[in-house]
Amino acid sequence: MAEMLIKKFVVTRFDPDQDDVPRTETYEVPCHPDWKVLDGLNHIKDEIDPTLAHRWSCRMAVCGSCGMNVNGEPTLTCKKAVRDLPDTIEVTPLSNFPVVRDLVVELEGFMDKLKSVKPWIIRAKEKAVEEGPTRQSPEELEEFKQFSMCINCMLCYAACPVVANEPEFIGPAAIALGHRYSIDSRDEGAAERNEIFRGEGTVFSCSYANECSEVCPKNVDPAAAVNQAKFNAVIDWATGLVLPRGGKE
Amino acid sequence: MKHLLLKLEPFIWLMFGQGILLGTILLTGWLLVVNLGVPLGVVSDAGLEYERAHGLASTLIGKLVLAALCALPIWKGAHHMRHVFIDAGGGDRDAVIAPILYLIATVGTVLSILAVVRL
Repeated sequence: MAEMLIKKFVVTRFDPDQDDVPRTETYEVPCHPDWKVLDGLNHIKDEIDPTLAHRWSCRMAVCGSCGMNVNGEPTLTCKKAVRDLPDTIEVTPLSNFPVVRDLVVELEGFMDKLKSVKPWIIRAKEKAVEEGPTRQSPEELEEFKQFSMCINCMLCYAACPVVANEPEFIGPAAIALGHRYSIDSRDEGAAERNEIFRGEGTVFSCSYANECSEVCPKNVDPAAAVNQAKFNAVIDWATGLVLPRGGKE
Repeated sequence: MKHLLLKLEPFIWLMFGQGILLGTILLTGWLLVVNLGVPLGVVSDAGLEYERAHGLASTLIGKLVLAALCALPIWKGAHHMRHVFIDAGGGDRDAVIAPILYLIATVGTVLSILAVVRL
C-alpha cells in the first residue's frame, strides 16, 4: 500500500450568521498519494468537520463546480493533485466573488453576465423543420469549437485583474461565450453582440493581462476570444461609418 | 465625458492596435538596423544617407508611412498609460486622465502630420 501523505489544509471559513470577517481553520489530513485537493476537502467534511461548506459535483473537470484558490491560484480542486503541492495547502474561495459561506461563492452576478451576451443562435428567420438541419463543415466547426469548451468554472474571473478593479466588467468567460456564437456559421446575431461589446464594461475594458488564459483548465484561451471580439466590434463600427445603413441589408 | 469616451472607444482601440503593430514590429526592426546592424557593419549604411532617406520620406507613401510611424505609437502609449492608471486603482479618475492622454496623442498626431507635410 502506498504511503499516506500528511497535508495541512488551511481552509477559509465564513458563516454570515456568526462571523463578521472570514477566518481560517487548519486540518491535518492523511492523503492517499493519488488524491486531489477536492478529496482532501471531502475527507475533512466526512471525517473531521461536517460543517465545512464547499461546492463540487463531477470530480472529473467537466462540471466546473469545484473552483477555488489553492495556494493563491484559481484552480479546479478536482484536477489538482495533493502530491504536487507543498505540505501546507491553503484553500480560499474564488477571488472577486461574494462569499455565501466558507468556500462557496455567489453565482448570480456571473449568470447575469453570461446571459447579457445573448449566448444562443440568433436567426433572422427560423428555418422550417421540413427544410432540414443547417449544415456546418468541419472547418466552420473548428472556428468556434475551442471557445465552446468553457465549463463556466469562473477561474478566469478570479484571476482577472480587470474584474478585481471593475466588478461590472462582464469578464472573459461571458465574452468568449458571446464570441463563440458570433463566429458560428449558423448564427446571424453578430451585429447585435458587437453592439453589446461596444458598451460599457465589455471588451474594451480588458487590458490583456492574459491571466484568464493562464488559469483556464480547459485551454479555452478566453484572452484570444476577447481580442477577436474587440477586432470584430471595431470592424463592425468602421463598416457602419463607411457603408450606408452600416452595411446592413 | 464617460459617454463620449465609450463612443470613441473603437476608434481609440483602432489607433492603439495599429500603434502596437508599428511600435513593436516596424520600430523595433528600425532600431535594430540603425542602432545595431549599421554600427556593427552587418547592414550597409548606404540607405541611411541624408539625400536618399529624405528623397524616400518626401514621396506621398513615404510621408504617410512616416506620419503613421510617428503618430500611432503615441496612441499606443496613451492607451497603455490609461490602462496602467485604471489597473493601479485610478478608475474613478478615468474621465479626467483619459481625455488628457488622448489630447496629447491628438496633438502628437497633428504635429507629426505637420512635420511630414513640411518635408
